[in-house]
Amino acid sequence: MFDLQSVISDTGVRLCLDCGKCTVVCPVTRYDAEFNPRRIVQEVLRLNGRSPVSDTIWSCISCNMCMERCNYNVKFTDFIRFLRYKALEEGAEIKYSHGGAPQTIMHIMAHRETRQDRLNWLPEDIKIAKQSDTAFFVGCAPYFDVLFSDLGVSTIEGTRGALRLLNHAQIPFTLIPNERCCGRDLLLTGDIDGFLTLARANIHEFGKRGIKNIITSCPECYYTLKIDYPKFLEDWDITVVHITEIIAQVIETGELTLGKLEQKVTYHDPCTLGRYSRIFDQPRSILASMEGIEVAEISDNREKSLCCGASPWAHCGTVNAQIQKERLAQAGATGADILITACPKCQIHLKCAQKNAESNDVCQIEIQDICDLAARSLLPQEVS
Amino acid sequence: MATPYIEILVFACNWDGWSCIEATANLGVGYPASVKVVRVSCLSRIHAGLILKAFEFGADGVMLLGCESGRCLFGVNGEYIINEHEKARSILKILGMRQDRLVLVQLPAFSGQEFVMQVKNFIVEIERLSASRRAKITDPEPAQDIAVLSQQ
Ligand code: SF4
Ligand code: SF4
Repeated sequence: MFDLQSVISDTGVRLCLDCGKCTVVCPVTRYDAEFNPRRIVQEVLRLNGRSPVSDTIWSCISCNMCMERCNYNVKFTDFIRFLRYKALEEGAEIKYSHGGAPQTIMHIMAHRETRQDRLNWLPEDIKIAKQSDTAFFVGCAPYFDVLFSDLGVSTIEGTRGALRLLNHAQIPFTLIPNERCCGRDLLLTGDIDGFLTLARANIHEFGKRGIKNIITSCPECYYTLKIDYPKFLEDWDITVVHITEIIAQVIETGELTLGKLEQKVTYHDPCTLGRYSRIFDQPRSILASMEGIEVAEISDNREKSLCCGASPWAHCGTVNAQIQKERLAQAGATGADILITACPKCQIHLKCAQKNAESNDVCQIEIQDICDLAARSLLPQEVS
Repeated sequence: MATPYIEILVFACNWDGWSCIEATANLGVGYPASVKVVRVSCLSRIHAGLILKAFEFGADGVMLLGCESGRCLFGVNGEYIINEHEKARSILKILGMRQDRLVLVQLPAFSGQEFVMQVKNFIVEIERLSASRRAKITDPEPAQDIAVLSQQ
């Protein structure tokens, strides 16, 4: 599908040889001296496809911090993705986290014959349009909450919150009962065939229902559907919006007014929503519109936001845990009661670090989804 | 119509679980050839990821065969596997594959007859599930469609 020489020229990585600036901002390099974006490029150019590159290619967490720093517009994360694709082709084995369960779920979901039963979390109060060309794309939250039940995560609360906000704003939407995973984690680990099978299954579902617009609350799904699907698939003409874009807009026009909650919060920009998708202001304006909510900005915010230490469910280790610990400490330092995020995966990764902390120096701040918080402000308030 | 070939993977713990498999040979009671047994040191070495992997690779059913509560050689007493079993069952349900394709069987040591009976019943149950799944696949829409849910 790709060849090394054209990937080298398309991504522009030759420029890295005389540079290395991003090494300073890369959170992985900070905790793992073995990992260095420029050195990876050097090694690849030296070997020139003759033998496989080192295992360090699996350590990149795709946080896109390097792209923020790079003066030459080098597409380093695309380059890493290609190296992984090639490594898989050459028989490399991925060190899957969580026993490989997420990948297995994605592969089973990809089957044409899969008929999921994935809407059991839907409460009665949420109203779904009988027919609409706008679909809400749920993402993998129903699976996450089972798989990571030991961590006490409830990412579906964020989804429920998002749907309640849409109901309040009177924006009609439908749901896709047999929606598949967007495939982002397969794409990031170089499993492009797996990714494409999922994408095609989704397109089939959308087509069958005449879907023209998609709203989603998961930044990973958002970016993948909006940016990657059109890159990989012809005839993709569905508009994709993130829930925070819509909600911020209806708040601005006065079509939705959020309620009151007395809480001091800090906001964590998920990499895929912030650096990748440039959605920095909308979540902040949602928070600002809520009476009683005090927002304390975290030290590394917006473009400089520190990643939650995520991995595409592979090669997760002590480096990831250290990044998570650092991010949690930054959140704790704001004095906020709650760390608000807009991504289910950030929630899982940060809670994992909290739960598996071996010492008591990991900040145990409460973590909550932005839509969950916003929807809760609309509940009838208890009168004290 | 020929009965479909139902592939069953059994994860048997090295102790009471495996003793049941050995007992079938000693007693001369056979079980269908489509039942493959994988011997593991303890069921606590099996997690949801591995169980689901068996399904990804085409197993029709998975049986976790281990010691009865209180008999675990490592003192784990099934706590870990009970949790993983529950998780994997919930995932199978969401995937629409039916949770009864996975069972946890805890038997006294050397229960050869009992194992054969259970595995045969399991195959019958899976044949039934597979038939209803095939019917569902030819059905253009999933059973749980949004039209039946609350409407705006
Ligand atoms: S990605 Fe950009 S900043 Fe990093 S080494 Fe290459 S050229 Fe320099
Ligand atoms: S994407 Fe993040 S982890 Fe990967 S090289 Fe760039 S800065 Fe480092």
